[in-house]
Amino acid sequence: MTDTNVMDIEGFNLWYGDKQALFDVAMNVRKNKITALIGPSGCGKSTLLRCMNRMNDIVDGCRVQGKMTYHGQDIYERGTDVMALRKRIGMIFQKPNPFPMSVRDNITYGPKIHGITKQSELDEIVERSLKQAVLWDEVHDRLDQSALSLSGGQQQRLCIARTLSINPEVILMDEPTSALDPIATAKIEDLAVELEKDYTVVIVTHNMQQAARISDYTGFMYIGRMIEFDRTERIFSKPSDELTERYITGRFG
Amino acid sequence: MSDGSSIGKMKKFHHDNVMKYVLMAIASVTVVIIFFIILFILINGAGAIGDIGIIKFLTGLEWRPSAGSYGAVPLITGTVMVTLGAILFALPLGLGSAIFISEVAPKRLRNILKPICEVFAGIPSVVYGFFGLIVLVPMLRGLFPDHLLFGTSWLAGSIVLGIMALPTIVSVSEDAMRAVPRSYREASMAMGATRWETTRRVVVPAAISGIAAATILGIGRAIGETMAVMMVTGNSPIIPAPLWNFFEMLRTITATLALEMPDVVSGSTHYSALFLLALILMLMVLAINYAAKVIIRRSRRKFGDSAQPLTPSRSYLAPLYNAPSALQMLFILCAFVSITILSLLFVDMSASLILASVITVGLMLFMAVGSLRSSKYRQYKEGLPEETRYKISKNSSRMLRSATLTGVFIFVWMIASLFTDAFISAAVAFVVIVAIVASAPAARRMSAGWKEKIAHSSLTVVVAIVVIILIALVYDIVSKGLPALSLDFLFGYPEDGGTGGGIFPAIVGTVQLMIGTMMIAFPLGIISGIYLSEYAKNTRSTRIIREAIDILNGTPSVVFGLFGMAALVIYLGTGYALIAGCITLAFMVLPVIIRTTEEAVIAVPKELREASLAMGASKWETTMKVVIPAAFGGVVTGLILSLGRAAGETAPIMFTAAVVFRSSISLSLLDPVMALPYHLYFLASEVPGSSVMQYGTALVLLLMVLFMFAMASVVRYKYNKNIKW
Ligand SMILES: Nc1ncnc2c1ncn2[C@@H]1O[C@H](COP(=O)(O)OP(=O)(O)O)[C@@H](O)[C@H]1O
Ligand SMILES: [Mg+2]
Repeated sequence: MTDTNVMDIEGFNLWYGDKQALFDVAMNVRKNKITALIGPSGCGKSTLLRCMNRMNDIVDGCRVQGKMTYHGQDIYERGTDVMALRKRIGMIFQKPNPFPMSVRDNITYGPKIHGITKQSELDEIVERSLKQAVLWDEVHDRLDQSALSLSGGQQQRLCIARTLSINPEVILMDEPTSALDPIATAKIEDLAVELEKDYTVVIVTHNMQQAARISDYTGFMYIGRMIEFDRTERIFSKPSDELTERYITGRFG
Repeated sequence: MSDGSSIGKMKKFHHDNVMKYVLMAIASVTVVIIFFIILFILINGAGAIGDIGIIKFLTGLEWRPSAGSYGAVPLITGTVMVTLGAILFALPLGLGSAIFISEVAPKRLRNILKPICEVFAGIPSVVYGFFGLIVLVPMLRGLFPDHLLFGTSWLAGSIVLGIMALPTIVSVSEDAMRAVPRSYREASMAMGATRWETTRRVVVPAAISGIAAATILGIGRAIGETMAVMMVTGNSPIIPAPLWNFFEMLRTITATLALEMPDVVSGSTHYSALFLLALILMLMVLAINYAAKVIIRRSRRKFGDSAQPLTPSRSYLAPLYNAPSALQMLFILCAFVSITILSLLFVDMSASLILASVITVGLMLFMAVGSLRSSKYRQYKEGLPEETRYKISKNSSRMLRSATLTGVFIFVWMIASLFTDAFISAAVAFVVIVAIVASAPAARRMSAGWKEKIAHSSLTVVVAIVVIILIALVYDIVSKGLPALSLDFLFGYPEDGGTGGGIFPAIVGTVQLMIGTMMIAFPLGIISGIYLSEYAKNTRSTRIIREAIDILNGTPSVVFGLFGMAALVIYLGTGYALIAGCITLAFMVLPVIIRTTEEAVIAVPKELREASLAMGASKWETTMKVVIPAAFGGVVTGLILSLGRAAGETAPIMFTAAVVFRSSISLSLLDPVMALPYHLYFLASEVPGSSVMQYGTALVLLLMVLFMFAMASVVRYKYNKNIKW
């Protein structure tokens, strides 16, 4: 089968001030697939992920170089509409970060920003997004309560629903389960697999089982370099690089 | 050691307990002082209630002690009005600057702007008053020659106070916005919101309690201000006519205390009336600070994880919120008409229209918010149908909009009516409203990027205005003060009634006052702070003590002056004396020192204490060897800052220690002294033709205070660098 690429990354370098954090990274993101990024902590997974919707723009002194395209268009080109880009490429963070507003206002935040004002439309969006994030049954009777009153796992699904509310094509997830207990983690994993049908997912994780369980493609990173990028089965059964093998078998360092 | 009994005897029990009681004894001296001050003011003020009658005092429209009329209304109105004006001036500028510094400015610019703000918060009020009197007042007179005969006015007072409140507002609300977790901003930007949208819809709402607290603290500072307002408001105890006429002169409570205290006979009605005024002032500040405290506490809860459950609105007005909108409109109309008619009995037509409109706007806002809240609750509790909820929310947002528009209309009308007749002003206000309504759709259609550009450039303009004001102030004083500085000026005595010579005795006097203050306040303050934070248990009595400290902490400095004069100068009979000034200043800074010491000590991590105690050190040893060294930087910073504040204060010394002229330096504690802030006040307000001397004095005072600030930040920087946790 032919997977189409949503994003292509090639020869990509990044510096925080004088310190280079990404070296010559290459990978791509396939449509309607889950792509996982694994590697020891500090190797640059989050950094790479945050480049994909230009969230690194808000870091002082961050500089990039190289090719990163979204549907063939270089996203670091001058004049790129960053806001529109982020609307198409949403992001879920490591720690759930709902706004200190009601559940409803959290979800309608994005649509309102992007110009939807009709109440009925907004309500449909609230319901649809919460259902997609498998949260509707748990919160439909307390939409006007503070989002901070939800449990950690619910908060994270609310953040996913919030991202879904603006209909992105790609969802970037940065260790979305690392702050959660095993049951909440399982729910998020199921959700990610469920989302794969309609969305393209890139997920950073330091949990190899998670990557093996849910992803179609996996990239292994090490000290700022993309050591190996391939189909997940291949990475976990027949990695071509020795470092990768040592990492996935837990014989590291 | 195998001897089991060696752990049975507590060797250190003894000295630990002794130290505890020594500390306690010293701390209780402080407590006695604090309660003594509060009681002294209460008792003296109570006398007036008997003589004048509290109702008569609070409702009397005339303040003329010479004629025996003690009506506090003009003074209270003066205080409220000048503060209100100050906030109206300072809030947009302060908030805009805070947003700019926290959300827009690049890091390097922020690192410059933030400390500048903090420095300006430390400039003595007499210097602001001097700037107001010498620069602002003539400027206003030039701008409004038909309205301002002298220039000294409510307007001038509000602007000066506003400038003084600016640094507090900027710095505290910037802190509140900084405290909004970065993750909120990221979440918003990750959904394609612009920076401005993120600021407006996420950061500011999340920080709103902190911003409110900043505003309230600014108000608290403005209300208690003495010297600056006294120098620029003209001090006539009249109620402005019309009430919003900011060109009128007025007089605040603080100015009244400062002006009348020196001539008053101890024990007379006038004397206790002044104490009663002081009491009212304290209550006002107390109420304001309490509001700030509640709001800050609530904002802490918001960033915690605890849920805020929806509460039903238990108001009796609930039926009103839930009424159909036609009925609500009818109600509002009725309210408007009846209030207008009622108030016509007391005031003229335009005043009653204004009064009615203001109340109506308040009512509309109240109803809009109320109905929104109760509809949410009802939907959640009673399953109110969605459709009804839309209707309600649409209704209330319409009501909010009309309330805002009406508010703008009244405001523009009021201001315009000061310049032309009522009909033309109404027309002007009408045009403004039409312009707003007409431009609304265009504004709504503007792209997010454009909105951001416009917002950010307006913020830049706001910051530029603030920076220009502050720089103008410093530049004016430095450029005109520098030529005055010479050896003769610094080491000479005043000549020709203050128009020539030098300020040597004032410099020495200020140093003497500071040394004395230091010697009294430092030991008492530090030990009490340590005792309260390390030893005192959290009982009812320590809570009361803390409350009392907070009350004194917020008490305006002029009230301390009043206390010092009555208790020391008159009652103890010291006369104007160095010692009386030192004690008064020491009492004034005592609460600050206790509080900052406590905070620095509490900030020392528990683990350090536990590590020391776990090695068998006694509590006293732990306190001395671990806690205090770790808290040293914080404590010393607090000490220097409080001393800097004392050095610049005028009101507490002007009726306890300071005189206008000394022909020699005296080291006696019982002699009066000259002091820089008071000398500046005296020259600026009483000695025409002493401009050079004034600027020189202001510059020396400024340098002295800024030097202390610089020292404090060096200390803080040094210790923050060494200690990390
Ligand atoms: N904002 C930043 N400023 C400077 N260095 C950073 C910043 N964020 C991350 N780094 C550095 O970049 C490297 C990669 O970090 P990161 O992408 O967070 O790793 P990972 O997510 O794989 O744990 C680390 O060495 C980290 O210290
Ligand atoms: Mg990471």
